[in-house]
Amino acid sequence: MSKLTRRDFLKLAAVAGAASALGPVGALAAAAKGGKQVVVVGGGFGGATCARHIRRADPGIAVTLIEPSKQFITCPFSNTVLGGLHKMADITRNYDTLRNKFGVNVVHDVVTTIDPAKSMISLKGGQSLKYDRLVVAPGIDFKWEAIAGYSEKASLVMPHSWKAGPQTVLLRQQLESMKNGGVVVVAPPPNPFRCPPGPYERASMIAHYLKQHKPKSKILILDAKDKFSKQGLFQAGWEKLYPGMIEWVAGSKGGTVVSVDTRRMTVQAADKHKAAVANIIPPQKAGAIAASAGLTDASGWCPVDPKTFESTIHPGIHVIGDASIAGALPKSGYAAYSEALMCAASIVAIFKGEHPGDASFVNTCYSLVGPKYGISVAGVYRITDKGISEIEGAGGVSPKEADEAFRESEARYAQGWYDSLTADVWG
Amino acid sequence: MAYHVRQWFLLFPILMTGAGGISAADISPATAANMARNCFGCHGPDGRSPGAIPALNGKSAEFIAQSFKDFRSGERPSTVMGRHAKGYSDAEVNALAKYISSLK
Repeated sequence: MSKLTRRDFLKLAAVAGAASALGPVGALAAAAKGGKQVVVVGGGFGGATCARHIRRADPGIAVTLIEPSKQFITCPFSNTVLGGLHKMADITRNYDTLRNKFGVNVVHDVVTTIDPAKSMISLKGGQSLKYDRLVVAPGIDFKWEAIAGYSEKASLVMPHSWKAGPQTVLLRQQLESMKNGGVVVVAPPPNPFRCPPGPYERASMIAHYLKQHKPKSKILILDAKDKFSKQGLFQAGWEKLYPGMIEWVAGSKGGTVVSVDTRRMTVQAADKHKAAVANIIPPQKAGAIAASAGLTDASGWCPVDPKTFESTIHPGIHVIGDASIAGALPKSGYAAYSEALMCAASIVAIFKGEHPGDASFVNTCYSLVGPKYGISVAGVYRITDKGISEIEGAGGVSPKEADEAFRESEARYAQGWYDSLTADVWG
Repeated sequence: MAYHVRQWFLLFPILMTGAGGISAADISPATAANMARNCFGCHGPDGRSPGAIPALNGKSAEFIAQSFKDFRSGERPSTVMGRHAKGYSDAEVNALAKYISSLK
């Protein structure tokens, strides 16, 4: 792989952005003026937001976004596809607006190496790119080895569906073809993991589907944990909407899955369970490129400055989203968005030699227990001497006692949340 | 200065909200923007909501700030806004409302 000169970069930018009218113009103009180059690795909630908002704040900065997929399928709302409320097309976004309206140079390729010493990345396609600042937003990867018998191959039989896409489709198909009366095992991972309320919303959406089409079926949640996000609200909702259908087994009560047998369709926790469908969500770590670039610590996640999200291991590289260690912020799409906004503001300010202002973060996550039964968690975060901390007295979950109209409003706002958030990332 | 304000706010939220806080001028424009941008994940790009959540664009700073304060006190019922609003002092509310209303 050869080192890329500015001229090569311009050629690459022109080729990659050939389909768009404005995209390469922005990148070219910035590069031609000797402007700064930012490369963003990963086009999910964190990466796409950061690319967009850097360009928005300062069109003089050239931003290249490296993302393998031409379309992005969101994990948020993927459970509604399992429940039959939405189709895959409803949760699919693309990069046209980032390219055409914001002039982000979107390159569909895979980053193979990051060289912090040379401030350079290499792509599978053969090119190398130099950066002034690098933003790494690779999301999560799985610790496949944590559950005996489970692997990427095993996930074609027992899907994790924790990266939305073909795995979502597979799980939906399995639910459609299972017999009435079967057991669906959902196995949530230990903390920390992507989308803390996600496995429980998933159980809810699967129950919604089964109640209509296969009402004798059961859902068995074999959990590695003793408590979970929005627990009281979920359990009250299950009792109301799907009485007797969902059983939750805590980790200390024998819930932790230790092995699976994909041939016999059994899941081994304290007891062995026969499953009609098994959704195994393995323990997680930062996306592989973060580890290979040396951005992770012993925990498997990436330590960062809480304000700028600059790596505390490799200066000049920022890590945002699920892969980062972000204090009290959860690993959610909204948190990744909020981190990306602050990271973008920081990078723009750093280039100008200005102060980016005080950091401020928000998380808002909705979960659907049923199509007309929404619940939420919110949090407002600032930086204290303990890092990113939630402001006490603010935030929290939906009220325990609320009428049907309240839950219905939150279900409506869940859709509004999805529409707005994806609009400010890809729309 | 901003750091002091934040600590003070954390310690005495009731005093801050009750006393009306300090003026928006004490919050830097960059800090106000950092706070306000977080709103658009729910309220849409620059407050232009494409869906069920109320839009903020075209609303005056006074309207946004008063709504926020009414959500915070509970005077105006809400699902999630009351929970968010409790995370901001009056000065911060005024500053972020000013920022949002300034967007075209």
